[in-house]
Amino acid sequence: MEHHDHPAPELMIKQYLKIAYTLFGLTLLTVVASWNWVPQSWGEIGTSVHIGVGLLIAFVKAAMVVYIFMHIKFDNKFLRAFIFVPLFLLAVLSFALNVLGP
Amino acid sequence: MSAGLSLAHEPNSGVPHGKLAMWIFLASEIMFFSGFFGAFIVLRNSNIEMFSHSAGELNSYYALLNTAVLIGSSLTMALSILNLQRGNNKNFQLFLGLTIVCGFIFLIVKTIEYSTKFSHGIYPSTNVFFAFYFTMTGFHALHVILGMIPMVFMLIKSYNRGGYNKPVKVETLGLSWHFVDLVWIFLFPILYLIFPAHH
Repeated sequence: MEHHDHPAPELMIKQYLKIAYTLFGLTLLTVVASWNWVPQSWGEIGTSVHIGVGLLIAFVKAAMVVYIFMHIKFDNKFLRAFIFVPLFLLAVLSFALNVLGP
Repeated sequence: MSAGLSLAHEPNSGVPHGKLAMWIFLASEIMFFSGFFGAFIVLRNSNIEMFSHSAGELNSYYALLNTAVLIGSSLTMALSILNLQRGNNKNFQLFLGLTIVCGFIFLIVKTIEYSTKFSHGIYPSTNVFFAFYFTMTGFHALHVILGMIPMVFMLIKSYNRGGYNKPVKVETLGLSWHFVDLVWIFLFPILYLIFPAHH
């Protein structure tokens, strides 16, 4: 029943290294994105953009870890439910607390 | 086994039970940390000044170093699993050992960070932000420690004759280790980077 659609080991090593380098790069990008690059005149929206960019990079990094390191890309598709269902609940929670709150 | 039958009610998911159990546990872990993130959002929105000011006191260089260490350890963990699956016990030991070393480095940096805070008179009781900081990073560090314990056992067992022969167990442990990396990926910007006031 178990099926392995993993690429050949040599390709996997290459892919792991590529993902690790990208993760290091994106970490530095997170630091750069936290600097004060949003113009003051943007006000409230500027703050949201600032936070949004930081979180977006974090989500991209997280997706890379989940898909490649945790093998969600290669494993049985129904395992994705264990990531996406709680993630959806978290998204609803964050939305409710941030946007619908006082 | 029963490829010719209708598998509509086939109870076999094709995923090893231990791995499936780990994924269920990780789903509950996402919700566990979601609780903290949710509470963080609510309390930050009503104390923006205090949160920004307190976050500015954190040392983001330590956190940046720890991020690099954890990403590196995720890579070595993935490589150790790959080597074990290919039956290369020597490289499995090397990469698992490196993963444990990375875990230790992370904890040492964390200890330095905590003791610096304590020496500046900053404790979990200082304010709500630091309560979050110590609780979230503390729970995260606890996950690092709990992941390292079975790793050490696996490394010891791999020196038995024939090497370590349970790749699925290492793969399952690897899932939890990558998840620890994942949590840090969010803790790093949220606690250290995005919110502090820029001086």
